[in-house]
Amino acid sequence: MEVLAKVAFAVYALIILGGAVMAVGSSSLVRALVGLIVTLFGVAGMYLLLNTPFMAFMQLLIYVGAVCVLVFFAVMLTRAHGEGEEAAPAPVKQYLYALLAGLAPAAILSWVILKHPLASEGTPLEVPIVELGKGLLENYFLAFELISVVLLVAMSGAVLLAWERREKK
Amino acid sequence: MSALNLYQLVALMLLVAGLYGIVQRRSLVGMLISVELMLNGAGLSIVAAAQLTEANAVLGQLGTLLVMGLAAAEATLVLAIIVVVSRRFGTTKTSEVSTLKE
Repeated sequence: MEVLAKVAFAVYALIILGGAVMAVGSSSLVRALVGLIVTLFGVAGMYLLLNTPFMAFMQLLIYVGAVCVLVFFAVMLTRAHGEGEEAAPAPVKQYLYALLAGLAPAAILSWVILKHPLASEGTPLEVPIVELGKGLLENYFLAFELISVVLLVAMSGAVLLAWERREKK
Repeated sequence: MSALNLYQLVALMLLVAGLYGIVQRRSLVGMLISVELMLNGAGLSIVAAAQLTEANAVLGQLGTLLVMGLAAAEATLVLAIIVVVSRRFGTTKTSEVSTLKE
């Protein structure tokens, strides 16, 4: 079982890596979105490996089901696929800055991770969903209510922003 | 190297990809995709830390759920902003959207 878990981890890590490279490197935004979806599936697999099936389900439901559809709407509504704002290659300077911006925090953080490794427990235990629900309604009630308020405000704010007055035309 | 470190390295990889993308992309939609990558890495890191150490597992999973909710709210708002920007400027290129007011 130990070997199988390692193989599964490697496969999911490869899926995540491939998806991430596609998401940031593709010149077509639709392909970048497909790369993002592949990455999200890989992360959902990681959640399954961590013995949190509920989080994997929520990952697929919220990210792949809602966020990716929103991003797809953004791609389509701005006609970003046709003219290809990302099609023309960027100046070389921009790639260098981007690499620097990515690698500088990576170097520091990976140094910290490798220098001070944390021991981890052998097998993660699955938390029953009942416990999660109790946590939401008892200990972390305020955060639960606040996230609903945030979602409501974001929704009405988006409607308000994108509202097109009819008398203008 | 423990399992937790491996998960943290994967999360770090997502952060690096997101940072690279957000600097290199020239359209708002591409930057939005990169932000989603970074938020995903954060969620993975939180759940891994909660499941593989002594920490409160319920708190970790609920924290990641909150991150997902915030990501959804953020994507909604960014979608609206992108629609407004593309309506007003005719493009979502970040280099051309450089004025606050016409």
